[in-house]
Amino acid sequence: MTTSGRMELVCPAGTPSALRAAVQAGADSIYCGFRDETNARNFPGLNFSPQELAEGIRFAHAHGSKVLVAINTFARAGDTDPWRHAADTAAACGADAVIAADIAVLDHMATQHPGTRLHLSVQAAAATPESIGFYADAFNVRRVVLPRVLSVQEIAALNRLIKVETEAFVFGGLCVMIEGRCYLSSYAAGRSPNLNGVCSPPEMVSYDEDREGTAARLAGFTIDRYAPGEPAGYPTLCKGRFKAGDKAGYLFEDPVSLNAGSMIVAFKAAGVTALKIEGRQRGKGYVTEVVRAFRKAVDAAEQGHDATEIDNILAGLSEGGRQTTGAYRKIWR
Amino acid sequence: MTSNPHEHLRAPLSILRFLPPFSGLPLGPLLTLSLRSLARRRPGLFERLGEFGKARFLIDPIDLPFTFHVVPDGSAALVRAAGRSGEPPSDVVIRGPILLLLGILDGTLDGDALFFHRAISVSGRTEAVVALRNAIEDAELRPSDLLGLKGTAARLADSGILGGLSFARQIATGAHRRERTQP
Repeated sequence: MTTSGRMELVCPAGTPSALRAAVQAGADSIYCGFRDETNARNFPGLNFSPQELAEGIRFAHAHGSKVLVAINTFARAGDTDPWRHAADTAAACGADAVIAADIAVLDHMATQHPGTRLHLSVQAAAATPESIGFYADAFNVRRVVLPRVLSVQEIAALNRLIKVETEAFVFGGLCVMIEGRCYLSSYAAGRSPNLNGVCSPPEMVSYDEDREGTAARLAGFTIDRYAPGEPAGYPTLCKGRFKAGDKAGYLFEDPVSLNAGSMIVAFKAAGVTALKIEGRQRGKGYVTEVVRAFRKAVDAAEQGHDATEIDNILAGLSEGGRQTTGAYRKIWR
Repeated sequence: MTSNPHEHLRAPLSILRFLPPFSGLPLGPLLTLSLRSLARRRPGLFERLGEFGKARFLIDPIDLPFTFHVVPDGSAALVRAAGRSGEPPSDVVIRGPILLLLGILDGTLDGDALFFHRAISVSGRTEAVVALRNAIEDAELRPSDLLGLKGTAARLADSGILGGLSFARQIATGAHRRERTQP
């Protein structure tokens, strides 16, 4: 929650230029990570060096925004130094909070940097009062980023039973797996998103063109095939299209994006403190457009506008792609 | 199923007519000097590429008669412009209309969207492409950065070149619309 009591808009930045773009577009907070395996968006050329983080924090603070540093992969047994170093560096740079899931990282922060706020990453998949209470009591976690499996009614009920703030994803990529516990891509790539920070490592991704179109492959496994001219996607196994018998289809989940913009008013009523936009791997053009639109939408919600008016503000963000409110609106219940 | 929203941004013949004389210029040496100068002024830009600074990128503007072979290795960067016959070996090939490729470079267009909508094609080492994309994304390059200009000269170059590119895109869009409305 911001000092004015309105919901906090938490926005992604994969590069310093995206951080500046988010700040200038109206983000209350920006989350980012270091250029290594300690964060869950470990792509080549992405993320921040310690110096870039320090400069980014100075820039954000000068404009009234906060910076939250994601150290949200799980430390490797026998090699915890990268995570310990990342935590120490984030605190030294003046991060407003560290977002973590691993109890080793949480413990290190709580004992060595008790003055730095701790947010529980979605990677911890904490969705019950008991698990959230454990993290709050053991490590003084102040906010939990909620897994994308709860309805808004369940979030409201949860908020009545816990003492910490909640942050809900509101826009961007959608992961239907239990976050922090998904090993699907590990079977193909041999690397874990939870330990190495990336579902489909780019070095194992290929797009091979032939007369029938383009085959998207991960570690040699064909995940999807696109006809000439057909829009393609980044090949993650969970969004792959597979053929069984004569029928081809999405086995795990359809490639739809989350857009819960129409539920901002409901989130506020449910006691949600912060709304999170996904997309640290996206460019600054995306960051600017989405943050600007959600800034207007959140402000409108705070001023009492209804869901229809907020839908109109966000109408330009569909990009022609398929979108869903995900589990937040479970109409089958 | 075709849904490429940038299909119209192929450079029209009216623009390409002006380009052949430029292909005779020593583009490779000029761009090599330009990249090396940029690396001296902004080393962080190339550090972001990491090991992929030594990767060989073949940039193929499909509506021009030549390609660029780029090794963005900071102060040892190398650019060669060559015809399509006898293309040198490369780690990555990026193909697309010149107006789209320039749009990615100046930040006007989203490279991811262009790729996923199949307006440009990429083959080879995906990790090198991702690193290059992220480095360019963070660089916020202006024409004056590549030309090594400052002050008024930089402002004039940026407004002139970016204005020219914008004009070229408008011409391309107009030409595309006329083609579509012709019976």
